[in-house]
Amino acid sequence: MTRPWTQWVLLAVALAMAAVYLFPLYWMYVTSLKTNSEIFANPPSFWPADPQFAIYPGVWARRSMSTFLWNSTIIAAGVTAVTVILGTGCAYVLARYRNAWVDVGLFCILMLQVLPASVMITPLFVGFNQVGLLGSPRLAVILASAAKAMPFFVVLVRATFMSVPRELEEAALVDGNSRVGAFFTIVLPLARNGILVCAILTFMSAFGEYIYSKSIIQDPRFQPASVGLSGFLGPNSSDWNAIMAYSAIYVTPILAVFVLLQRRIVSGLTSGALK
Amino acid sequence: MDISEAPAVNSRRRGNPVSRILSSIRDGNGFDILLVAAPLVFLVLLAGLPLIYNVLMSFQQVDMFTLGAWIRPFAGFDNYISVISQPEFPLVVRNTIIFVVGSMAGQFVLGFALALFFAQNFPGAATIRGLFLVSWVMPGLVVGAIWSWILAGDFGVLNAILRSLGLIEAAIFWKSDPNFSIWAVTIANIWLGLAFNMLLLSVGLAAIPKELYEAAALDGANAWKRFLTITLPMMRPTIGAVLSLGLIGTLQQFDLFPAITEGGPANSSTVAQYWAWQMSFTLYDFARGATISVMMFVLVLFASILYVRSTRSEVRG
Amino acid sequence: MDKATLKLGGLLLAATMMTAPATAQTIVKVWSIDGTNQPGVSDTLSKEFNERGGDIQIEYRSIPFDELVNEALRAFATGNAPDIISVDNPDFALFSSRGAFLDITDRVANSDVIDPANYFQGPLNSVTWDGKLFGVPKYTDTIALFYNKDLFEAAGIAEPPKTWDELLETARALNDPANNVYGITFSARAGEEGTFQFLPWIQMSGGSYGEVNGPGAVRALEIWKTMVDERLASQDVLSLGQWDSTGTFNTGNAAMAISGPWELNRMVEDAQFDWAVALLPTDTDGGERSSALGGFNYGIFATTQNPDAAFEVLEFFVSQDERMFPEFSSLPARNDIVLPETGVPLKDAALQVFQEQLQYAQPRGPHPEWQKISKAIYDAMQAALTGQQTPQQALDQAQQTIAGILG
Repeated sequence: MTRPWTQWVLLAVALAMAAVYLFPLYWMYVTSLKTNSEIFANPPSFWPADPQFAIYPGVWARRSMSTFLWNSTIIAAGVTAVTVILGTGCAYVLARYRNAWVDVGLFCILMLQVLPASVMITPLFVGFNQVGLLGSPRLAVILASAAKAMPFFVVLVRATFMSVPRELEEAALVDGNSRVGAFFTIVLPLARNGILVCAILTFMSAFGEYIYSKSIIQDPRFQPASVGLSGFLGPNSSDWNAIMAYSAIYVTPILAVFVLLQRRIVSGLTSGALK
Repeated sequence: MDISEAPAVNSRRRGNPVSRILSSIRDGNGFDILLVAAPLVFLVLLAGLPLIYNVLMSFQQVDMFTLGAWIRPFAGFDNYISVISQPEFPLVVRNTIIFVVGSMAGQFVLGFALALFFAQNFPGAATIRGLFLVSWVMPGLVVGAIWSWILAGDFGVLNAILRSLGLIEAAIFWKSDPNFSIWAVTIANIWLGLAFNMLLLSVGLAAIPKELYEAAALDGANAWKRFLTITLPMMRPTIGAVLSLGLIGTLQQFDLFPAITEGGPANSSTVAQYWAWQMSFTLYDFARGATISVMMFVLVLFASILYVRSTRSEVRG
Repeated sequence: MDKATLKLGGLLLAATMMTAPATAQTIVKVWSIDGTNQPGVSDTLSKEFNERGGDIQIEYRSIPFDELVNEALRAFATGNAPDIISVDNPDFALFSSRGAFLDITDRVANSDVIDPANYFQGPLNSVTWDGKLFGVPKYTDTIALFYNKDLFEAAGIAEPPKTWDELLETARALNDPANNVYGITFSARAGEEGTFQFLPWIQMSGGSYGEVNGPGAVRALEIWKTMVDERLASQDVLSLGQWDSTGTFNTGNAAMAISGPWELNRMVEDAQFDWAVALLPTDTDGGERSSALGGFNYGIFATTQNPDAAFEVLEFFVSQDERMFPEFSSLPARNDIVLPETGVPLKDAALQVFQEQLQYAQPRGPHPEWQKISKAIYDAMQAALTGQQTPQQALDQAQQTIAGILG
C-alpha cells in the first residue's frame, strides 16, 4: 500500500516550494551583507562578493536597537495579555451558544475593527489625549492594538472552544460545579493549547505593530522597532543594506522562536479542532 | 459611611439585586454576559467611537483647528460627491477590486493547495509546513521593504530570475508600469497572507473525520470526487471564516503600499485604504479621507453579513 | 531706545529670576526631521544649547520626513503642539496662512541676530504670508545636472547639455543598454519629489505652478516622456526617489542625474569615476533659467506658552548658521555667509554650480493647499509618462484642478 517513492517526490516538491516561499527572507539576509554599490549592481549577485558583517553591530549600536526591541517586547506582551484576558471569555461564550445574539456579538466584534488603522489613528489620538493616556504612550498603544487584535483572536479561539465536548462541561455542572468553576477547571484546561497558540500568534503580530506606535509614541525611548525602521524609509534615506540588516535583526528573534515552536503551534491549532 | 453599612444591608435582605447579580455571574447567564460585555465595552471605546468619529467627519467640514472637535460645520453629502467626482475615483475602485479579489483568490487557492498538500503523509511534512508560516509573523513594513527591493525594475532580483529562466526578455517594471503596479502589491500581499490562509484551512482539514474518506474510498469515489463531496462541504464554515477574515485583512493592508508603489504610477495602484490615508495625511483633507473610509466600511459590512451567515452551518462537537 | 528696552528687559528678567525658585526652567519643545539617520542640524544645536545650562532647556524630538506635518497637525489640533518646528518650505504656508504660526515680524525687527535682508529672496518668500514674517529659513537647496565625465569622454562629448534638445540627444548618445547604462536618471515619483523635479521645467518654459499647460510645459513633458519611452531613463524613475535614483548614477548605471547637493558626500565616496555638475538645461539656448527651491524653515507655533524663550532658541539656531555647511553639508539660505572650501575639489566645484543655480530657484507656493496643487502636477506627469493621457491632456486636466484650488 505504501509507495515510498511518492513520499520522496512529495518531500522534494515541498522543499522546492519552501525554497521559493522563503526566498524573500534569503534576499533580506543577502542584501544586508552587500556593499552599497553591489546592491545597485545589474544583474544582482546572489551571494555578496565581500560580505559586510560589520553592518550588524553597526546598525545595532547606531540605531539603539536594544531600546527599540525592548519596547516592541513590552508592547507585544501587553497586547497579548489584554487580548487573552478579554478575548478568551468572549470566544467561550460565543462558542457555547448558537442563537441570534451570538450572531450579533460576532458581527459587532468584526465590524468594530474593520477600518484600517491608518484612518482610526486620528480619532484615537484625539480620544487618548482627552483622557490623558498620551502621558503613558505605550499603554495607549497596547490598548489600541489589543482592540485591533481582538477579532482575530476571538474567531480563532472560538473555533478551539467549539471542539471542547459540551458534555464534559455539563457533567461538571451536574457534579455541582458553578459555571465559573466549570469554566476554569474543565473548559479552559481543555482549550489551553489552542489559546496558548493564538496568544503566541497575537504576540508575534503585535511585535510588528507600526501605525499606532508611530503616531502615539513621541519619545524615542518608548518607541518600538517598527518605528525605528520607518526612520530609514524616508524619501531620501534608502540605505538598503542597513534597512535589510535592521529588518534581519528585528525579525530573526521572532523567526527563531517561531521555527522552534512551529510544530507546537501547528499541532495546537489542528489538535484543538480534532474531536 | 455608606461603605460600612453596605454589607449589613446585603446580608439582611436576601435576593437583593446585587447578590442576585453576583450569583448569576457565578452560576448563570450573568457569567456569559460579563464575559461578552467586557470585551464589547472595550471594543466600543477603542473602535466604536473612532468609527463614529469618522462617520461624523464625513458629513462635516474639517480643518486643522477643528480636528479635535466633535461638532463642526455640517457639509451634507458634499464630501461624498467630491470623492466620487475625483478623476481617479473609477481607477481606485478598479484597483481595489483587483487587489481584494486578486489577493484573496491567490491567498485562498495557494493556501488551500498547500494545506491539502501538507495534509498528505510524507516525511517532514509538519516541519516544512511550519516554515510556510513565517510570513505571518513578519511585520508588514519589513515585508514591504523586502518586496519593494525584489520587484525593482533594474536591480530587482525577480526580473533577473525571470530573465535567466528565459521567461521574459526585457525587464518588467513591476512598480512603475501601470499594467503591473497593482499586481506587484498583490503578489506581496499574497505572500504575506498565505500563511494565515494555509494554517486556518489546515485546521479545518484536520477536523474532517478520516472515516468519511475511508467510506467514500470504499464506495469507489476518486480523489476529485471525494474533494467535492466531502472536503468542500465539511470545510464550508472554515472557508467562510477564512474568506471574511481575508477580506478584512486585505482591506486593512496598508504597510505594503507606501513601501512598494506609493499608489503609483499615475494612481494605478492606489486602493481605497491607501487613498483614504493619502487624502488625510498627505493632502490634509481629513473629511474626504474619512468619507472614503466610511465607504469602505459599508463594503465590509456586507462581507461580515456573509461571514455571520456562513457560521450558521457550523456543527458543534 | 533699543538699549533702554533691553535694559528694562534685563531688569525684569533679573526680577523674575529672583522671585522664581532656582530650579524653574522653561522648556522649549523643538521638532524636526534631523537626527533620524545621522546627527543633523537641529538635534546637534539643541544638545549644545542645553549644555550651556541656561534657564531655557530644549526638549528635542526627531520625526521622519513623511510623518512630520501629520504629527504637527494632530498635535496642534489637540493642544500638544511643540514650540518650534522645522518644516519643508512648501508645507510652511499650511500653517502660516491659518495663523497657526506666530507672527514674528516685530520680534525680528528688534532682533540683533536675525535680519531678513541677509536671506535669499526665494526662501524668505516661503516664510512670508500676507506681508508678515512667520518664520526663518533654516537651510536651502536646489537641483542641477550631475554628469559622468568618463562616460562623456568615451562618447566624445565635450560639454554638458545646455538645452532640452541637447539633453535628449546626449542621453541618446550615452544610452548603452548592453552595459546597463541609462542615458539619464531623475525622479518622477508620485509625490512632492516628482513636483520638485518637474516644476522647474514648467517655469523654464515661462509657466508657473498656476499655469502648467502652456506650450513650453507640454513640450517639457513630451521630452520627459520620450526619455522614458525610448528607455533613455529607467521606467523606475516613476517610483524612485531622488536618493535612490542618484544611487544608480553613482554605480555607473546612468550617465546623467538630476538631483541636489545632498548627494555630494555620498557621491564623493561611492562614485568610481570623474563627475561634475552643470546648471539645468534650458528650453532654448540662453533661455530662462529656473530651478526648484528646497530646504526647511523654522516656525514658532502660535500656541506656545513661552514665545520669548522660543524666540531666544530660534535666535540661537540662526546664530550658528555659519556652521551649516562645514558641519552639516547644508547650504545656509543666506547671502552674507561665504561657504568655506572643503578641500575636496569635486565637491567644491559642484557647490559653486549649486550656488549659481540657487539664484534661479523659485519656491513652491507659498499656498495653504500646496499639497493639492502638487498632486495635480505629479499626477499629470505620471499620467503622461505612463501613456494614460497625452502630455497636453494631462496638463490641461492639471490646470483645471489647479485653477479650482487657486479660485
